[in-house]
Amino acid sequence: MKIIKIILSFLFLSSFVELDSKLKQNRTKKEAVEVNILMPAPFEESTRNLIKKFNNKNDKKIFVRVIRGPMETETVSDLAISNLILNSNQYDAILVDVTWLPKYATAGWLYPLDSLIDKKKWDSLMLGAKKGNSYNKAIYRWPFVADIGLLYWRTDLIKSPPKTPDELIKISKKLQSTNKVKYGYVWQGRQYEGLSCVFLEIIRGFGGNWIDNENNVLLNTTESLEASTWLTSLIKNGISPESVTNFGENESLQIFKSGDSAFMRNWPYAWAELQKDDSKVKGNVAITTMVAKKGITPTATLGSWGFSIIKTSANKEETFKVIEYLTKRTSQIELFKKYGYTPIDRSIYSNKILNKQFPILKFIKSGLEIAYPRPETHVYAQISNVLQRNLSSIITMQKSPKEGMYDAQSDTLNILDSVGGF
Amino acid sequence: MINLLLLPAFTLILIVFIIPIIRYGWISLHSFSLATNLSLIPNQFANWDRLLNDSRFWVDIYQTTRFAFVSVFLEIILAMIIALTLNKHFNNRGIIRTISLLPWALPTTIMALGWRWIFNAPYGPIEQLIRILGLAELNILSNPNFTWIATVIADVWKTTPFIAIILLAGLQTIPKDLYEAFKLEGGTYFDSFKEITLPLLKPYISLSIIFRLAQAFGVFDLIQVITSGGPAGSTESIALYAYLNAMRFLDFGYSSTIMVASFILLILLILVINLSIYSGKKILSTIKL
Repeated sequence: MKIIKIILSFLFLSSFVELDSKLKQNRTKKEAVEVNILMPAPFEESTRNLIKKFNNKNDKKIFVRVIRGPMETETVSDLAISNLILNSNQYDAILVDVTWLPKYATAGWLYPLDSLIDKKKWDSLMLGAKKGNSYNKAIYRWPFVADIGLLYWRTDLIKSPPKTPDELIKISKKLQSTNKVKYGYVWQGRQYEGLSCVFLEIIRGFGGNWIDNENNVLLNTTESLEASTWLTSLIKNGISPESVTNFGENESLQIFKSGDSAFMRNWPYAWAELQKDDSKVKGNVAITTMVAKKGITPTATLGSWGFSIIKTSANKEETFKVIEYLTKRTSQIELFKKYGYTPIDRSIYSNKILNKQFPILKFIKSGLEIAYPRPETHVYAQISNVLQRNLSSIITMQKSPKEGMYDAQSDTLNILDSVGGF
Repeated sequence: MINLLLLPAFTLILIVFIIPIIRYGWISLHSFSLATNLSLIPNQFANWDRLLNDSRFWVDIYQTTRFAFVSVFLEIILAMIIALTLNKHFNNRGIIRTISLLPWALPTTIMALGWRWIFNAPYGPIEQLIRILGLAELNILSNPNFTWIATVIADVWKTTPFIAIILLAGLQTIPKDLYEAFKLEGGTYFDSFKEITLPLLKPYISLSIIFRLAQAFGVFDLIQVITSGGPAGSTESIALYAYLNAMRFLDFGYSSTIMVASFILLILLILVINLSIYSGKKILSTIKL
């Protein structure tokens, strides 16, 4: 008797579940197309207002649901990959970091956007924002925020920022010897992606490159040796603290914000943090591009985010409409004003009112003009990991720059060989 | 009938443990990466050949074993002290017992983030203390020779309570009259610990060692948060390497090979520990007599 009761109540409950899912389906079919977008937590928060407006405005034809991912960049990728591998069709679009794109495109997870893109709109983008969206001649991503590596400096200590690596050392030493600051320069030296970004700027500043346009690996060259020796000398000479070898963005920001350092390498987000009331350097900070040897154009590592549509999505056109809304000019201005997100539309940078209100725009523009993406290959994660390990060994004095760069070169070539090149 | 009763448990183990490990073994005999368009292509023992010649794997094995043995050793000693203390009668014992469990109840990522800030240089409390004492900067997270010790400290802090609880449970099974008889015979406290407590706790100690070694051997989140495997790869664990290969490099074939290899090594390790512990079983039974 008891068993029959259990079976009956189970059947009763399951009929409800079925009914509910049917109702849901009908609702979506009749009323709106549901578009699901996966975003890292900070972006989910910053776009909440825009999404709310969109869902209220568009005659209820499209309903956007943002799936809040984890905070940390790579953890978001882990979540996305787990879903994509299982073909769970949970997302219509994903907010994709610049380094994931070749990997995702090679895996066949992304839908080429060429047919959906309006050429005029594409042409209105900043040059730096156009980079890092294509792979194998197809566009897979529409840019959302362009991030670039910048050099922050203190206007209360010096009149003009250093332009060359030598100048940076000279000024730092002078300021340190007169006890104006504890450290000269803080950057990201932890064994993680940030270290690859720092190194790309320095190696190019010394006239070299990580991997050039002809796909030659250039880690074992005079320039790369000079660059890695320079980074090591910063620690050896006490210009950067010894602990910089475990610094991520936050640790560097903490030191600079406390007024303990004259210079800092960081992304544009740090600007807003430095203007807060708890910042000891509030009002005394300016930004410029990274140092480079005389006669060499400086480099800003490109670290942008953009939306990619998933191949299995049943609502590609609707999804693209949402993307267009989130990245349109007014949305960009709103996000820039509120959160300091770097705009991607060229016309924003020539807007006089905005320039007057936000003098930082001018510097971001010059950074975007020299933005340079990290190597665009589907084995990027592997080769960046190799570079990070070897650079970490060099700056913690476990390997000499020569030894470390030699190992980085041969390990990178091995990885590329094993997959048959780029 | 007994066999039938075992069926649910066996099914569960089959689904969550045996099938996955067999599948890992199967994948380890295939190329399964972006290069193969994420499809399985048999490659005989190519992954295993690569593994045997992969110096990074062997360095990680060494680093993981070092981490596991040192942490578990320290945890057992500290947990023993804590368990003996908590077994005494004192006021508010219940509250103290609960509080002492707190580190273990905290999610690893959160406590690891906390430790990252504790070890932070130059603002973390440890560096501040060192400065007050007038010593040179420690920079424990920046020195590849010492960073692993920081990860051990964090692990010991978190998991000692777990062992302490197991040992406390063990201590409560020991009859009080044994100690009283021992005292009447003129034995000291230290002697009773050596002759009664330790031998009778042996099964609990060995259980803790096996539990914790298996857990420490698979350490991932703690390392990922505190150091990401750095500096200079000096704290990378096997699980972290397997994770990198799977989730970051999308090389599932090689990642599975690493997992299966570490599984085999762990089984061997536990067998050796079991053998060495139970070789002393005879002594234990004589004491019980």
